[in-house]
Amino acid sequence: MSPKGEVLTVTSLTKRFGKVSAVQDLSFTVQPGRVTGFLGPNGSGKTTTLRCLLGLVQPTSGRAQVGGHDYRELPHPAAIVGAALEASGFHPGRTARGHLRVITDAAALPAARADEVLALVGLTEAAGRKVGGFSLGMRQRLALAAALVGDPGVLILDEPANGLDPEGIAWLRNFLRARAEEGRTVLVSSHVLSEVQQTVDDVVIISKGRLVQTGSLDELTSAGLIQVRVRTPNLDVLRAALVAEAGSTSVNIFDVSPDEVLVSGLSAPEIGNLALSKQVELHELTPVGTDLEALFLELTAGGNPGGAA
Amino acid sequence: MMSMVRSEFRKVTTTKVLLWLTIAAIAFSALNVVLLVFLTPRAMDIDPELNLLLDPAYVTNILGAAGSSSIFILILGIIGMTSEYRHMTITSTFLATPKRPRVLIAKGITYAILGAALGLIAFITSLAVTLIALMSDEHAPVDIVTALQILGGVVLAFAIYAFVGVSVGALIRNQVAAIVGALVWVLIVEALLTVFVDWIGKWLPGGALNAVLQTTNVTGRGGEDILPTAIGVVVLLGYAVLLGLLASLITLRRDIT
Repeated sequence: MSPKGEVLTVTSLTKRFGKVSAVQDLSFTVQPGRVTGFLGPNGSGKTTTLRCLLGLVQPTSGRAQVGGHDYRELPHPAAIVGAALEASGFHPGRTARGHLRVITDAAALPAARADEVLALVGLTEAAGRKVGGFSLGMRQRLALAAALVGDPGVLILDEPANGLDPEGIAWLRNFLRARAEEGRTVLVSSHVLSEVQQTVDDVVIISKGRLVQTGSLDELTSAGLIQVRVRTPNLDVLRAALVAEAGSTSVNIFDVSPDEVLVSGLSAPEIGNLALSKQVELHELTPVGTDLEALFLELTAGGNPGGAA
Repeated sequence: MMSMVRSEFRKVTTTKVLLWLTIAAIAFSALNVVLLVFLTPRAMDIDPELNLLLDPAYVTNILGAAGSSSIFILILGIIGMTSEYRHMTITSTFLATPKRPRVLIAKGITYAILGAALGLIAFITSLAVTLIALMSDEHAPVDIVTALQILGGVVLAFAIYAFVGVSVGALIRNQVAAIVGALVWVLIVEALLTVFVDWIGKWLPGGALNAVLQTTNVTGRGGEDILPTAIGVVVLLGYAVLLGLLASLITLRRDIT
């Protein structure tokens, strides 16, 4: 029986550092049982928001709460929330196991949990090695292990895919998906949409400390914010089918080359299904992460849908 | 609180700092004993009547050299706190214990215990080196009661002094600034204040430390210009608590970014 997730609530959160507003009047909720992507370009206030949720940063105004409580009021925080914030929070002279044992001690958890989570993230071999010699990917795994050590119902991960190899990213994806399916709350930040769009159910997009868009990934797809690259030798047939389909939704088709188009407004499965029904041979069908920078330009130009004023 | 203290012990035993500072404290205590045994009395060789090694008080007070390594204890406490900020492990520390003053208290307890242990080690070092160094010379016997008083003083003084270091580190989070600041204070500011303002010296942290160590310097014991031991304990502990409270109000609550 795995621990249950909690709802994360950010309410009118504002944080100023001196005169700089890192986060401004930000409100959103994160539901248990789903993987939520927290997206925005570098410097958009993602990390500050997460640190407010974790009681590390004091909001200037507004609230960021876990299950209706401030993090600092949680009786046994490590068993409720696990967080991996950055890869730099390690003493270089300490071993991976030593780092985790410090945490199991502080949180009054069984010492055996340290080795359990090291095995879980694939660091058993490196358990006795000093963190100073770790690669970025290994540090990311260790940070994840630290987040998992209390078997929490809420996972808050800041750019967890940074420095992971493709294999590691695939593993992380499955891992997070499985946690969400157990009913836990999973919040993952990223500045690269393509990195998370195959993993997340919901998205919260911020830019310059303000909310730009929040909702399910499906909503984002139908809003035309995610494109699918399609390569096919029978482009004309497919185009006709797509245009016919466009009757009900707003589908856009951009020509890239004679056999390749970028489609927005339909998900990859929908296009694949359509191609199958028309017996069109496909050579590629890839959801393309719209570059977030471009996405923000688009959203701003388009009148900031769903965003804060 | 027990689990947090255990965690603090784990932090300090999984890194090398404690080992190096223990070695430094042992070496410094031993060096001071050697200087007291071989240099000071030999300076008196011109007048055989002044052979200090025949003076029981002088011989026993050589053990007080254990107290000379106090600066390493202060630095141990400072590093114990500031290395958390330096390596950003403070993030996981505060995630596990979001009520931050409790972290400071756990560290204070942990480093007080470490300080006491190092006081014992420094005393044993001084005793061993003294006995070895005196073997070849005719000397007065070591007075056991005074020796035990010195032991008690060193253990208590180092325990509180390590706590002072933790509080200093909490107040000045930059490791280099905290260590340099502490050294400048101990070696220059406090020394000058003591010289130029008569009454103030014994009330400063260094003066209170000497009161707990029951020594004005390594060769003299007690005297007019230091506080009674009990008052010294209260004053030194007062500095540790005051600096810790200041840190809780100012630096400890700052955002961790």
